[in-house]
Amino acid sequence: MLILRTLQWGPQHGYAIGQAIRAQSSDVLQVEAGSLYPALQRLAKKGWVTAKWGQTEANQRAKFYRLTPEGKQQLLREASRWMELVQAIGRVMTPWLAPDSEKS
Amino acid sequence: MGFDEEDLRKEILSHLEMATTDRMADGVDPERARLDSLRDFGNLTLTTEAARDVWTPWWREAVQDRASDVRYAIRGLAKNPTFSLTIIAVLALGIGVNAAIFTVIKAFALTPLSGVERATQLAVVYLETSGGRELRVSYPDYQYLRDHDRAFSGLFGSSLTTASVGRGRDARQISLELVTGNYFQTLNVHAASGRTILPSDEVAPGRHPVIVLSDGFWRRNFGADTAIVGTTVEVNNYPLTVVGVADPAFHGTIVGYDVEAFVPVMMMSQLGLEGGVTRSPGTTVLSDRRAAVVFPHGFLQPGTTIASASAQTNALWAVLAQQRSVDDTTLHFKVVPFSQSPTGGQATMYPGLLLFAAMGVMILLIACSNITGLVLVRALSRRGEIAIRLALGASRTRIVRLLIVENIVLAIPATLLGVLLALRGIPLLVNWVDSVTAPQRMFFNSQPDRLLIWFAVAIACATALVVGLLPAIRSSRVDLVSVMNQDASPRGATRGRMRAALVVVQVAVSLLLLVGGGLVGRSVDRARHTDPGFDQSHVIAVALDLKHNGYDEGRGRTFYRRLLDDARTDVGIESASLAQYVPLGFLETRAQRVSLEGYQPRRDEEMAFMSNTISSDYFRTLRIDIVAGRDFSNRDDERAVPVAIVNRRLAEKYWSGPAGAIGKRIRIGNADWRTVVGVAADVKYARINEPRRPYFYLPLAQVYRPVMILHARGAAPVDRLLEQARVRIATIDPDLPIVSARPLAERTVFAILIFDFVATMLFAFGLAGMALSAMGVYGLVSYIVRQSTHEIGIRMALGASGFSIIQGFLARGIRLGAIGAALGVTAAIALTRFLGSLLFGVSPTDAASFGRALAFVLAGVIVATFIPAWRASRTNPIAALRHQ
Repeated sequence: MLILRTLQWGPQHGYAIGQAIRAQSSDVLQVEAGSLYPALQRLAKKGWVTAKWGQTEANQRAKFYRLTPEGKQQLLREASRWMELVQAIGRVMTPWLAPDSEKS
Repeated sequence: MGFDEEDLRKEILSHLEMATTDRMADGVDPERARLDSLRDFGNLTLTTEAARDVWTPWWREAVQDRASDVRYAIRGLAKNPTFSLTIIAVLALGIGVNAAIFTVIKAFALTPLSGVERATQLAVVYLETSGGRELRVSYPDYQYLRDHDRAFSGLFGSSLTTASVGRGRDARQISLELVTGNYFQTLNVHAASGRTILPSDEVAPGRHPVIVLSDGFWRRNFGADTAIVGTTVEVNNYPLTVVGVADPAFHGTIVGYDVEAFVPVMMMSQLGLEGGVTRSPGTTVLSDRRAAVVFPHGFLQPGTTIASASAQTNALWAVLAQQRSVDDTTLHFKVVPFSQSPTGGQATMYPGLLLFAAMGVMILLIACSNITGLVLVRALSRRGEIAIRLALGASRTRIVRLLIVENIVLAIPATLLGVLLALRGIPLLVNWVDSVTAPQRMFFNSQPDRLLIWFAVAIACATALVVGLLPAIRSSRVDLVSVMNQDASPRGATRGRMRAALVVVQVAVSLLLLVGGGLVGRSVDRARHTDPGFDQSHVIAVALDLKHNGYDEGRGRTFYRRLLDDARTDVGIESASLAQYVPLGFLETRAQRVSLEGYQPRRDEEMAFMSNTISSDYFRTLRIDIVAGRDFSNRDDERAVPVAIVNRRLAEKYWSGPAGAIGKRIRIGNADWRTVVGVAADVKYARINEPRRPYFYLPLAQVYRPVMILHARGAAPVDRLLEQARVRIATIDPDLPIVSARPLAERTVFAILIFDFVATMLFAFGLAGMALSAMGVYGLVSYIVRQSTHEIGIRMALGASGFSIIQGFLARGIRLGAIGAALGVTAAIALTRFLGSLLFGVSPTDAASFGRALAFVLAGVIVATFIPAWRASRTNPIAALRHQ
């Protein structure tokens, strides 16, 4: 899901994805390369991303991953499920923050 | 789309490059940056593999796993050839024996008739008397059943008989089936050339002179002549036109017999095949309702059971019984499945077959427990390896799977070998039986077929699973810590108990086999040394058949007289005689009802005895004592008073003994009363293990029989006697076929043969079981020794003597042996009663047989225990301790 999210803003290569996740999570989430690349392969197999070789801004050759329409669908689904989960956990962990309407 | 490893490699390289560039941008020196990136990335190979796994379909992974399991198993087993070869050999033996037995059983029970589909579903109808005798059904009754019995989808009649084909010296005796017109149609058997016998061949008695040959007979006797259809062959000197050759797979419907020709039942009288059929006056054999002619056979209608068929058929009997002049209400129809047919070999062979099957299962049981033992021992030596695999993260199922694959790898060559063994063994057995029963042709449907292969594969798989699963599960439950720590004796009590149970089972089963073998062996021994009551050495038996060769009673009598006179004058002939049956002939001959003067039988007592028709000098020729009175003489002819000779048993049972029997009278059926002129000593009439039984003799001069056997005794070698007899017969009548000419001893051998065969088999199986269980015990003890090497080392270091070590192991081995033996003896006492008819002169609980088997088994256990124990006692304590 995180990978899909980072790809939402345009095609990106593996290293950049790792860096992006790391940077956006303020170094909390460190995606290891050993998990990242198999995960990318899995996504490619499911048809949620496509890959193409290209040039980076620093003029290095790299493989760019792009979200497919199905991938976008999947991301939406997962994101909403994630939100539900977070809200549910939030209600359990911090009931005092929950909206009144949900209390009774 | 797919996995591109090269692509991924490039991608990773670019990743590293970028990471390095980033780091360098942060001011790290290039070399350092490169290494950091590499370290950061983690395990390159693992990543590649994980990525590749994403693309591998699940089944390919499974296949690859299996393939590597198999490769690994083969490598492991090849490293340990003794173990592997032993298991393969043991398994091959077990499978081979079972496959062979299965083939024989199949021949009788599963596919009894070659060339006939669904033959097991045939049912047979016969008439049963109140005394339990099984009678054929008369032709008119058969017709009525065929037309009115709704239980069967079709009912054909058949009757086995022998006939001679050809004329004179070239004549051959064959087995022939007299069949009804719907025989081939009901069985759905077709002709290979020409046609089969059809319903149109069953219209009028004597009007259908046709014959269908079996494929084998056509090849053997007519050189597979393609122009055979339309030619004429003479059967019992009556010309029949060959209308067809039957399907090559078809051998008739009489199990155990190779039927060589088929003739319409309508031709019975013309072929002179009415002999022995009792007939009411004023009828022909085909119109008499009391003439026993055929056994009706048919497939039951769908949804009909044997019981309901029996009820339906007997309802028809009520109608049929009313149409008889004589009251036959004691008779009733019986419908039985083909496997219990009163005709053919099924009924007599079943008990023996069951015995063989039981033995086969026992052998397999021993083989299984044996292999389990071996596998366990091997598993012990592999505990280290398995522990390491577990520690490296292999799942238990994976390890169990590997061990099972190993067993299957062993089972495959074993199955092949076993099947090969069976395939090689069965023809040998069949040929042997064939040679024994010559000139009678035997046929068993023992062709190896897919069924046999499936059977072998099934037992092999079952064995591999049973044998492999238990030890596999056990050894996968290795305690990691203890193995890694090389703990000295991590033996779980349960494992020891299981091994012990295996040994106990093996000892018990092999004891059972040995006792059985021993009992039957002693029976054979007794049988060989039992006096059958006559002396068969230097006696020849030449069978003659005057029936079909143009002899009437007068000419026949002249022939007999001349033959005896001539034979007696031959050089070297001591005495010669004619008799209807040979003694100890294995088959029961027909029993006849008799009345005895001065004896009132009880209401339910069946007074029917076997008898023989003999010429004078019979008792002298066979050296049978006459205990009272005299032999028949030439004066006992048609004009003289009817006479008879009885045996001692009859005289003792019904009269006041031999002396009291002389002058008493005996009546056979409703014939004239005959005066008893002599009492002869008892003889074994059919089988060596028969009890003493009443028997009587009639003089040939008063009771003419067209089929007789010349018995002649002489000091010359039997071959010369036989040749002389042939020449004699040829000079009197060159056209007369000699049915058989053999030494008498060869004709009686069959009576002992069955014993001999079963005994040899049982004994061989017993020995095989014994050898296997000795190996099992050996395996157990070496296992324990291995487990306790460390302990032995300590004990010896502490000063225990080698002797005491041996003693300890021996005690354990003997204890297990004793438990097994006790179980085996108990089982044997319970089971040997079922050997019943195979025993002779030996009690089923014969102490000597039990003792010998016991001694044998215990000796085996001791030897098997001693060797590893002795090896253990030689352990070098230092080495043992360090080894651990």
